[in-house]
Amino acid sequence: MLNSLNQTPFLHGVITIGSFIILMIGLIGVLTKRNLFKIFLSFAIIETSLFLYFIGMHFEVGKTSPIVSSGVKTFSPNMTDPIPQAMILTTIVIGIAVLSLGLSFIINYFKLTNNMRVDEMNELGEAK
Amino acid sequence: MRRFSIRSIFISLIVSVMIVLLLQIFLQFDLVTSSAGSTVLNINANSTHSANAVTSVVTYFRGFDTLGEVTILFLSIFGISLGLDGYRDKFNIFAYENSLLKIAVDTLFPLIVLFGVYVIVHGHLSPGGGFQGGVIIASAFLLMFLAKSNDFSLKHNILELAESLSGAGFILLGVLSILILNRFLGNFLPLGEVGKLFSGGVIPLIYIFVSIKVSAEITSLVEYFIRIKDVK
Repeated sequence: MLNSLNQTPFLHGVITIGSFIILMIGLIGVLTKRNLFKIFLSFAIIETSLFLYFIGMHFEVGKTSPIVSSGVKTFSPNMTDPIPQAMILTTIVIGIAVLSLGLSFIINYFKLTNNMRVDEMNELGEAK
Repeated sequence: MRRFSIRSIFISLIVSVMIVLLLQIFLQFDLVTSSAGSTVLNINANSTHSANAVTSVVTYFRGFDTLGEVTILFLSIFGISLGLDGYRDKFNIFAYENSLLKIAVDTLFPLIVLFGVYVIVHGHLSPGGGFQGGVIIASAFLLMFLAKSNDFSLKHNILELAESLSGAGFILLGVLSILILNRFLGNFLPLGEVGKLFSGGVIPLIYIFVSIKVSAEITSLVEYFIRIKDVK
C-alpha cells in the first residue's frame, strides 16, 4: 500500500501543495504583520518555499544523488539533475546576503527613529 | 465572540477558489526525460573527474557565476559594515553566564572547525563544499561569541587579510587559466583519479578559496549582529 504512495507524480503533488502552503504562510506574514523584522523573516519563509519547490520538482523516485561513491561507480542518466541543486546553492547564499543587508537597514532605521512599525512610518511627511 | 463581516467572508471565498484554480495549473506537469543536467552528467565523467557533480557544476561549469555570487556576499557585508558603524566599543547583547558552556566551548571549538575543514576539503567527493563548510566554521565562532560574551573579540586585520587574499586567489586561478588554456577558470591542473582526495584539478582549490572567503564574511557578519549595543 505504501508502494503506491512512493510514486513520482504523487510526491510531486505533495511537494507542490506543501511548498504552496509555506508560500501562503510567508505571504500572510508579509501582509498582516506590522513589525519590520517579522516582514523580512516572512520573506525568508517565502524563499524557503521556493527552494523546496525547485529542488523537489527535480526529484524522481529511483534516482540517486549525483555523487559517485562506493555504491554508485559511474555517472549515469540514473542520477538526479545536478543543475537545480547548484542554482539553489547560489540562491541560498544570495538570500542570506540580501536578508542580512535588509536586517541591518532595519536596525539603522530603529536607531534613527525609535520606531519599527510599518503603520507608524511618517518620514516622507505624508498628510494626516 | 468575534464577528465576521460579509465582506471578509466573500474575500476569503474568492481567494480560496483562486488558490484551487492555481493549484490545478501547478499540478499538471510532465516528467522531463532529458535535460541539461543529463548532458552535464555525461560530460562530467571525462572532463572534471570530480565525484560530486553538484560541485563541478558550481565551480567549473558555472565558476564565473560563483565568482559573482561571492562578490554579492562581499558587497552585502560591506554595506552592513558601513551601516552598523564599526564593532569597536560595542557590547555583546547575547551574554550567557553559563559555566557549562564556558568550559565546553574550549573542547568544542577546535572540533567544529575541524569538521568544517573536513567538509570543505571533501567538497568534490561527498555532499558539502565551500559554502557549507564556511558556514560551519562561522558557527564555531558564533559559539565562542555566545560562551565568552565580551572577553572574545576577533582580530579583524587577520580576517580582512584572509578574505582579500582568498578573493584574489580565486581571480588568480582564473587569470592563470587564461594564460595557460586561453579561457577563464578552466582546468589546468592534472585531473587525477575519480574518488581520490587529490583529484578534480582546479575544483578543490576554488572551493578552498571560496570557503575561506565565506567563513571570514559570515564570521564578521555574526560579530556585527551580535555586538550591537552601544557602551553607555
